[in-house]
Amino acid sequence: MIQFLIGTVWLVPCYAFIGGLLAIPWSPGVIKKTGSRPAGYVNLFMTFLSLLHSVFAFIFIWNQPPQEIFIPWLSTAGLNLTISLEISAVSVGAMVVITGLNFLAQIFAVGYMEMDWGWGRFYSLLGLFEAGLSALTLCNDLFFSYVILEILTLGTYLLVGLWFSQPLVVTGARDAFLTKRIGDLFLLMGVLGLWTLSGTWDYTELAAWASNAEVNPTVITLVGLALVAGPMGKCAQFPLHLWLDEAMEGPIPSTILRNSVVVASGAWVLIKLQPVLSLSPVVSWFIVAIGVVTAVGASLIAIAQVDVKRCLSYSVSAYMGLVFIAVGTQQDETALLLVLAHALASALLVMSTGGIVWNSITQDVTQLGGLWTRRPISGLAFIVGTLGLIAFPPLGGFWALVKLADGLWENYPWLVGIILIVNTLTAISLTREFGLIFGGQAKPMSERSPEVHWPMIMPMVILFGVVLHLPLVLQSLSILPSWATLNKDLVLLLIWSSIFGCSISAVIYLGNIPKPIRLPWQPLQDLLAYDFYTPKIYRMTIIFSVDQLSKFADMIDRFIVDGIVNFVGLFSLLGGEGLKYSTTGQTQFYNFTVLLGVSIFCVWITWPFWKVQFLSLMF
Amino acid sequence: MQLKYFLLLAAALFCIGIYGLITSRNAVRVLMSIELLLNAVNLNLMAFSNFLDSTLIKGQVFTVFVITVAAAEAAVGLAIVLAIYRNRDTVDMEQFNLLKW
Repeated sequence: MIQFLIGTVWLVPCYAFIGGLLAIPWSPGVIKKTGSRPAGYVNLFMTFLSLLHSVFAFIFIWNQPPQEIFIPWLSTAGLNLTISLEISAVSVGAMVVITGLNFLAQIFAVGYMEMDWGWGRFYSLLGLFEAGLSALTLCNDLFFSYVILEILTLGTYLLVGLWFSQPLVVTGARDAFLTKRIGDLFLLMGVLGLWTLSGTWDYTELAAWASNAEVNPTVITLVGLALVAGPMGKCAQFPLHLWLDEAMEGPIPSTILRNSVVVASGAWVLIKLQPVLSLSPVVSWFIVAIGVVTAVGASLIAIAQVDVKRCLSYSVSAYMGLVFIAVGTQQDETALLLVLAHALASALLVMSTGGIVWNSITQDVTQLGGLWTRRPISGLAFIVGTLGLIAFPPLGGFWALVKLADGLWENYPWLVGIILIVNTLTAISLTREFGLIFGGQAKPMSERSPEVHWPMIMPMVILFGVVLHLPLVLQSLSILPSWATLNKDLVLLLIWSSIFGCSISAVIYLGNIPKPIRLPWQPLQDLLAYDFYTPKIYRMTIIFSVDQLSKFADMIDRFIVDGIVNFVGLFSLLGGEGLKYSTTGQTQFYNFTVLLGVSIFCVWITWPFWKVQFLSLMF
Repeated sequence: MQLKYFLLLAAALFCIGIYGLITSRNAVRVLMSIELLLNAVNLNLMAFSNFLDSTLIKGQVFTVFVITVAAAEAAVGLAIVLAIYRNRDTVDMEQFNLLKW
């Protein structure tokens, strides 16, 4: 039985996928009479099934060696594409997180999407996401990871574009698709380049190959950079981060999923590729640099946002930046711990604010306020999410950050400073958001704001409990960093940075300082509020050049290529039009041409005879 | 030796005829130029028959035929000219450019 559960854990993605397929018939165009709610219930059932299966498999596989399953997919001349699945404690554990979060997000959606007719489409896409993410965690093959990532990119496009009658949704979905596509295409280059070097795409074999590989440093650097570019786009890292901001136009339940697990899909691949990436020090430094820039930049931007969802989305980018730092400094386990802690806390934050948005309508934090007395559960959930994300003992984020800082302290002490800064900034931004939403006086938009109904509160409370219990769970699985070996000064520093950030922000936003807060230097505030003007930068660089280039290519096609062909036609036309005038209608002209022709023919025939005399006459 | 002179004379006459043929505006004069061409040919035929074939004089026979055919042709030609003249009231070759492009 145990072996059966473990051996068939690859069914988990299939359940979710089947759930997604089963939801489709309840699209308004197919089942026209009874509304689309059963789509959600069917999907919830399938997700629950996959959650149960993965939980039991996780319990049984813990402390057992990883198993591998090989499914041949395609075999052509010289290329055997085999789907290799790794059933290990980590991959099954990740599936538990994915299916669990998806289950909670789907329950949340039952409440949130109550006034919506698009359950068929929404739930089928959620099912697709769950299937893709679960398959990604199981998949032990770079090529099929890429395949899944691309499917998820398409899924993101469709899910962000759920309410496609809104113009901002359409542009947001477009940007999300194209930005992630660019990263994925670079990843494809890297994937193909890696094949020529290593001859394998299996992560295990890649790690074995990388442990004693002799490769040209330039080549492996370029391949490594391409491999990083995919996760960069997926994890919304600078400079490919704008899509996550615009993806906040999608429905909130999908945002729960996106902020917690979808962005982590890139990090997952990055972590899996870490042995290959660490072959080149340049690539490692690149990963760290990207992570540092994103972590600091995005947490600064998050402070300056007024949109609830966007405040959180930039924190997601920042935390993914920390994951990048962890991977760049070869701390895979820390990265996984960070992803786990972030996923749970971030999902809780989005659920809490999603509930606020659901019946306060506005997403503008400056128009919210004074909800603490009326929305205690949402407020507590937000607090716990915040504390679970920043370094606040004993919650998950604390352990992840402590482990990260501890690992960095030996070799990269300045990166510890970055982590402290990011932690402080995140604490400031989340406390600011709490202060603006829950603290202060009620504004017109939030004056009558009842707590949401059970389908949205229940998953929130469950996740609340999970976040609170995460340290206990981690301890029972003995994957917490051991307290004895930790650098206590670092721990204190991290805690102080959190307290500093929270308290300074609480003083500003819960105190009596007049709002809205203005920085002494307005351009800086605008710069952060407008995300370093990233849309403008995109529009001025990439979009402008591609646009001009495509216009130029279009002109070449229209005028030069078409022109040459048309010129041939025009030339024959003009030739006919012009040469018809040789038929003058004058009989004498015809006579003349006959005579001319005959004379030329005669001269030509008798030329050998004439030539001698002609030449002697000339010279 | 004299054959050359005959031939040169005939060629000269032929060229004069050609010149008249393609420059005359009067249709009758075009016919006259054609006659000149035919007569230049006849001169050639006579000269060849005299100097190269004096026994069988096939050239002279040719000449007789040419004269005959030329007479018929001139008659038909004049008939055509008259027919055109009847319709268009002119024998100017430059007025006859109706069948152009």
